[in-house]
Amino acid sequence: MAKITLDIFRFDEAVDTVPHRDKVVVDIPETTTVLDALEHAKAEVDGSISFRRSCRSAICGSCSMNVNGITGLACKTPCNTVMDETGTVKIDPMPNFQPMKDMVVHMDPFWDKYTRLKPYLQPKDADSAHATERRVSPDDMHKLVQVANCIMCATCYALCPVVSVDPAFAGPAAIAYAYRFIEDVRDGERKERIAQISEDYLWLCAHCYACSYCPKHVDPNDRIIDVKRAAISERVMMNERGPRHALTVVKTIKQTGMLAETELIQGTVGRFNIIGLLKVAPLGLRMASKGKLPPIFMKPIPKVDEVRTIIDSLEVPVA
Amino acid sequence: MSTTLLPEEQPLSSHVRTRSSQTKRYGFFPGCVAKESCKELFNSTMLLADKLGIELIELTAASCCGASVVNDVNRDVARVLNARTYAQAEALGLDDVITICSTCTGHMRAANKELLESEEHMAQANSILGKFGAKYEGHIVVRHLLWLLIDDIGLDKLKSMVVRPLNGLKVAPFYGCHIIRPEAVNGWESARNPHSLEDVIEAIGGEAVDYAGKTRCCGFHIQLEKDNVAADMVGQNMRMAQDHGAEAVLTPCPLCHLALDGYQQDAAARWGRTDLPTFHLPQLVAFALGVPAETLGLNKHLIDPRKVLVDRDLIA
Ligand code: SF4
Ligand code: SF4
Ligand code: SF4
Ligand code: SF4
Ligand code: FES
Repeated sequence: MAKITLDIFRFDEAVDTVPHRDKVVVDIPETTTVLDALEHAKAEVDGSISFRRSCRSAICGSCSMNVNGITGLACKTPCNTVMDETGTVKIDPMPNFQPMKDMVVHMDPFWDKYTRLKPYLQPKDADSAHATERRVSPDDMHKLVQVANCIMCATCYALCPVVSVDPAFAGPAAIAYAYRFIEDVRDGERKERIAQISEDYLWLCAHCYACSYCPKHVDPNDRIIDVKRAAISERVMMNERGPRHALTVVKTIKQTGMLAETELIQGTVGRFNIIGLLKVAPLGLRMASKGKLPPIFMKPIPKVDEVRTIIDSLEVPVA
Repeated sequence: MSTTLLPEEQPLSSHVRTRSSQTKRYGFFPGCVAKESCKELFNSTMLLADKLGIELIELTAASCCGASVVNDVNRDVARVLNARTYAQAEALGLDDVITICSTCTGHMRAANKELLESEEHMAQANSILGKFGAKYEGHIVVRHLLWLLIDDIGLDKLKSMVVRPLNGLKVAPFYGCHIIRPEAVNGWESARNPHSLEDVIEAIGGEAVDYAGKTRCCGFHIQLEKDNVAADMVGQNMRMAQDHGAEAVLTPCPLCHLALDGYQQDAAARWGRTDLPTFHLPQLVAFALGVPAETLGLNKHLIDPRKVLVDRDLIA
């Protein structure tokens, strides 16, 4: 047994204007999960401490919170893996959400983005057209198993730096779940779904891999890349900056072997999009004044033919 | 529940070579940005290498690593482009590829991991490389200069080489996502609690500032998508750094440098003025090791870093 101090975020939106913190000392084995430690504190010390939980075994997705700066499932986090030298475990609600009461947050933005996906199968044809259930080959199913493990705990959403500054961004879980239907061979709305998630800023993902800390190994970061590839192969919203940027990168690599920054800006923003280019211009001028502008014409690298052979062999689409 | 499809937790440091061979010759992959808008990074790296007594052999025919963007178009092309680069390094008898960009590090390591772990990927790459007579044997390890400093030079040695200690300059480390995440690819240190930059800052006489932004994203890759969002990400991180006392930022990533140096001004309306100068890793280390400040390209930054050095009596 060990004395563990829980340093707990306290806030009740019904009465408080600002949060405060309470320290509660519990006498429990060090390997107790943070969730059980909280349960202990609630049962023995202060019944008003609030948090969500149900399964206590990383299945229901209720208990994500921030523990000593790390966001994840409290029921999957033993105290001894997070407590500091003084035996303190600092507990806060998930970031990127509005607190409601203690560790309970308003989940609405997360669910809204999920509901917008129409997260149910929309088959190509009527059930009556099928004599049996709709069969899916093991290979086709394997593509979906990993995302189907999502327990909607919102850990990834709480970790996403883009969500933290732009709440319009769909966020990792919704995009991963869009993939789950986009790649389902039974679904009839593939293109519409890709268009929908593109409108919800698919291309605003900053590739930061913060969401790689999904407790169920859904790896939303990788699914986002899969959805972008699907968008390009289905040619959905190809005039938007995201796909233009990606295709221009490949084009400049094919031409020069390198990523030509000047060409990239024009290719992404649009060579004839004068307003868009003017918006990039102030930073460009600031950089030019320091002699920091990339060269306008890039000299190709030696043996650039080899690079072209690679791109052609793989039949990569180019802008 | 599927058992086969779930990736296992990877042990840290899988296929990471620590304290490698005694070699002083390294293959060097500068990356596009160090050759284009951040030439001062390339130059200061070369000056630092001289001081350290190591030889960086530039892979001049190497292509872009594909950044994170090429994967959005095709899942194979970045891997094969990088296999070509590794084959070039092997042909020169080298077994290290040293990078000076977090994004290069992450993506080149990811490509290498796929090549080394999948015979299918290696065979695909070599069948294409074969068309121009190249072959990747699989002997390359990709490391960032930051790791080389710690593993091959050593912090004690580095400390002993310092002739111009930073006088307690308060420096905020800014890692850049792809040198730490995903851990299964990088794995050199914990991505949630890294300390390599802090260790280097302390070794050269600075004081490392701890703040939550140090492992967060700078937004570089979405600057052209929605520049106000990218600027906000910079502002948020720099606000945290300044609130924790930072006078300057140190980053191993030129893309982070471009974002932090370029966008603080645009972020000021929402996050308040921060104006923290952003040093490239080799600039600040080379400075502490006595490389003349005028040669480090400090005048190329939008937020002039010479001011904090003057304030600390480090330069006149
Ligand atoms: S993707 Fe992972 S982290 Fe995100 S909600 Fe689903 S289970 Fe949670
Ligand atoms: S990889 Fe994209 S979705 Fe995931 S946390 Fe980063 S920005 Fe958000
Ligand atoms: S990460 Fe960027 S700078 Fe580095 S090689 Fe790739 S594209 Fe070039
Ligand atoms: S911090 Fe910025 S430049 Fe660096 S890896 Fe992340 S997005 Fe890329
Ligand atoms: S209590 Fe269900 S996931 Fe933690």
